[in-house]
Amino acid sequence: MNKIAIVGTGQTKFSKENDDVEKILFESANTCIQSTKNCNSDDIEGVIVSTNNNSKYLGAILSETMGIQPKISHSIEHLCSSGTNAIISAYAYISAGLSDLILISGAESAINPGQILEWDKSRGDLEHPIYWGSMLTKLHKTKFQTTEEELAIVSAKNHKHAMDNPLAYSNEPRTVSEVMNSKQITDDLRILDCSRSCSGSSSILIASEEKAKNISEQPIWITGIGQKTTSASFTKNILEGIKSTRTAAESAYKMANIEPKSIDVAEVHDAFSVCELMAISELGIVTDDKSGEFVRDLFNTENRMINPRGGLIGAGHPLGATGISQTIEITHQLQGKSEKRQIPNIETGLIHNMSAAGTSSSVMVLKN
Amino acid sequence: MTFFEEQLEQGIFQIGYCKNCRTTLWPPKDICHICHKKIEWKASKHLGTIIEFSKKDSTYFGLIEIDDGIRILGDILCHSEPKIGQSVKMNVSFHNKPHYSFIVENN
Repeated sequence: MNKIAIVGTGQTKFSKENDDVEKILFESANTCIQSTKNCNSDDIEGVIVSTNNNSKYLGAILSETMGIQPKISHSIEHLCSSGTNAIISAYAYISAGLSDLILISGAESAINPGQILEWDKSRGDLEHPIYWGSMLTKLHKTKFQTTEEELAIVSAKNHKHAMDNPLAYSNEPRTVSEVMNSKQITDDLRILDCSRSCSGSSSILIASEEKAKNISEQPIWITGIGQKTTSASFTKNILEGIKSTRTAAESAYKMANIEPKSIDVAEVHDAFSVCELMAISELGIVTDDKSGEFVRDLFNTENRMINPRGGLIGAGHPLGATGISQTIEITHQLQGKSEKRQIPNIETGLIHNMSAAGTSSSVMVLKN
Repeated sequence: MTFFEEQLEQGIFQIGYCKNCRTTLWPPKDICHICHKKIEWKASKHLGTIIEFSKKDSTYFGLIEIDDGIRILGDILCHSEPKIGQSVKMNVSFHNKPHYSFIVENN
């Protein structure tokens, strides 16, 4: 199989400002191109935009704004995992020989329609994600004896990591006690257990092996990809786990020819605190009943292995940009460019991005 | 409005059923995804069981399983804390979107 690499990255700061999507797409795409060597607009053969925003024709608009006339140009929407879906689509174009260099840009404004899936009649008028988040949390507490403190540690850890991420939405430290005493949203969720929908844009450039060596001194190779969609409606899910993540991870590990124990660093989709615990179990990093203890150990030893950029809870969740931002973090970690967040001596990283209560998941493995 | 929504408006929860495949189709759709024939509708018994629950402000809500394994999110109406496995009676309505509420029996 042809080797495909990440060769450029660019991001805006995630914020609560209701930024214009076209404007921030341009900002992150421009920073992305500038992060490369010997790359100009003429080299880019594909432009894919990932967003839940209702704006039309964004692939062509971003191309024109950047002075690119690509062969391939379109948008991708897949709720919260739009970003990784866009990267994986670009991978497939390059792998098929239809392109050698593709720009993938994701963006969202703070007010976006992506949180609510009107189609899902099984949720009735309880459409907001807090309702399914509460169901997953309640069951995890009962089935695996997960404590409120263990859930709060996920949030405190990710807020702490976000402190060292200048582009994160949150730059405020949150203690375990502050999380446990934050505003109660439901009996099983507090406000600091929830990721925040926000504004932001992230861009990434991926290339064929030959092109990658001309553009980047430190290409990061995409060695494993897995995707699975089990349903669209939340109520088809089992509450005990995230089946789509487990299946996607198995495919990604098989393609990369690795075991979960090889993962040195991972960005996982912590839409709510409980999602991080469930994700690390489904990814095979730890067993279900030990996930709370595992995260407590990471927190106590200041080990940044899980969600070093702050995850969705600390860094914010601009839906269409999230999967790309996660991928940028793992890329920078493997390049040794994560500054204060850097995890030493690492070779293999993982990205886990999911949609709509885990009804669909994407997993990618990267190597330096 | 769809037939399903019109029926909700009248307080009836209709379940899509493929007679050919003997399969229940949920969330509702008009065509069976297995044999691609038009589905039939049958009214639910409006009875269910609590799978999981939580509370927002002063209202309980939860995941309920009704006929044929269909699971729905909705409000739970009760005098004291509900219990997993408890029987509930379902009320439905429709005002721009579906509303499901479940009354705990013998609570």
